[in-house]
Amino acid sequence: MKRILRGAAIPILILLLWEAGSRAGLLPMDTVSRPSHVAAALVGALADGSILRATWQTVEAALLGFAIAAAAGVLVGVILGLSPLLERTVGPSIEALRPVPAVALTPLTLLLFGFGLRMEAAVVAFACVWPVLLVTVAAVRGIEPRLLEVAQALRLSFPSRLRKIILPAAIGRVVVGLRVALGISLIVAVTVEIVMNPRGLGYGMIVASQSLKPELMYAQLLWLGFLGWGLNALLTRALGRWHGAFGPGMQP
Amino acid sequence: MRESSAAVLSLKNVSVAFGNAAARPVLSGISFDVADGEFLCVVGPSGCGKTTLIRLLAGLLAPSGGEILFGGRPLGGTSRDRAIIFQDYSKALLPWRTVAGNIALSLEAAGVGEPERGRRIETLLAKMRLSHAASHYPSELSGGMQQRVQIARCLAQQPRLLLMDEPFGALDAITRQTLQDEIARLVAEERTTVVFITHDLEEAIYLGDRVIVLQSNPGRIAEMIAVEIPRPRNQLDTREDKRFLEHRHRLFGLLQGR
Repeated sequence: MKRILRGAAIPILILLLWEAGSRAGLLPMDTVSRPSHVAAALVGALADGSILRATWQTVEAALLGFAIAAAAGVLVGVILGLSPLLERTVGPSIEALRPVPAVALTPLTLLLFGFGLRMEAAVVAFACVWPVLLVTVAAVRGIEPRLLEVAQALRLSFPSRLRKIILPAAIGRVVVGLRVALGISLIVAVTVEIVMNPRGLGYGMIVASQSLKPELMYAQLLWLGFLGWGLNALLTRALGRWHGAFGPGMQP
Repeated sequence: MRESSAAVLSLKNVSVAFGNAAARPVLSGISFDVADGEFLCVVGPSGCGKTTLIRLLAGLLAPSGGEILFGGRPLGGTSRDRAIIFQDYSKALLPWRTVAGNIALSLEAAGVGEPERGRRIETLLAKMRLSHAASHYPSELSGGMQQRVQIARCLAQQPRLLLMDEPFGALDAITRQTLQDEIARLVAEERTTVVFITHDLEEAIYLGDRVIVLQSNPGRIAEMIAVEIPRPRNQLDTREDKRFLEHRHRLFGLLQGR
């Protein structure tokens, strides 16, 4: 508790100075809203449900894109990790695609899917798939060869080998890629909304900004930070429990 | 006994070479039989191809020349009839599974379902004196205990042939002696055929019915002796037995390269 208070001291101090400076007329009201006004806007947006609706739209697209990327990245990553030959064949194509900025695909996905959830999720998936894929390839390649020999000596079928040896041995590292991807998913979803897609928190901020309601924009920004923090905390807890299942021998 | 039809395993002029054909073979002209229920030890200096030999027998590696027969048929690839115990037990166990879970792996592979699986695990845990550690993870165990888990996992397969690659090489002297006696007792009970690789000449004589000495460059059989010391053996008397000392003197020179 004491540590939380210590950590909160600086933000609270800044907010107080900010509020005082604003009331004293030292800050331009049309760009830098007063903290109390921001709080009021946030409460208002929560009360009328608009920010929750927008949050759901953003989170929905981010999670859908993330899920697609996680599934595809792990699947392809395991295959490429197991087959160096295939990796050498596909690797250059991956390296050519990877540097394309995901957001630059927004116009293309707009043509393909139109406005809405699908185009946003597609861009998120493109952005998120790379960290998952690359980490999975490395994780599978890094599996102790002795374990694969044990599987070979026991003549485990490929599905059991995958389920009992390869995935559990790789999961500790794959999780790192998943965490990175989840962080990216929220960033990309909001970016797509700001750039083009008329839905979610990103679009909400654009509207607030253009209709000269900076306090609402700040409220959404604050809310977005809180959302990112919450998602990461949730994932860390979920995966922490997952690690626990592998016992103390598993150092992620 | 040799060249007889009772041989579980039979090698005929087996050779292994890595890389180009001009390279010196790792193993060359290896021929021997292993009889049913026999405990065969292979001893040799490091780099003589001992591990290559055991990998051949496990089916993890194919010979470049010659023929290996297992149960009268050409040995092709791995089989659950042949279990291999690796020296590096810490790498061969699944760190995310408990002791019981690790033993269960080979029963799962063989398609042994519950409740039979649970019963067999219980028996093996008791036999390997691991019952108290059943729910522990490998990383929580000493090296000797971890190697017991690997042995238990291999015994769970109920193999016809047990292949051991310097299984006690990384253990301290006391643990090693205890495990030597335990493995000798276990395979005698189960009448399992064993090929046991070691770099320790005394261990080879102490455990083996026969001892093969390998020499390096290329790896080849330098000498093959029948130990002929009665069982059960024990750490004190057997090691002071006249025949034990004779074998030791005779083979010692070979390992030093004379």
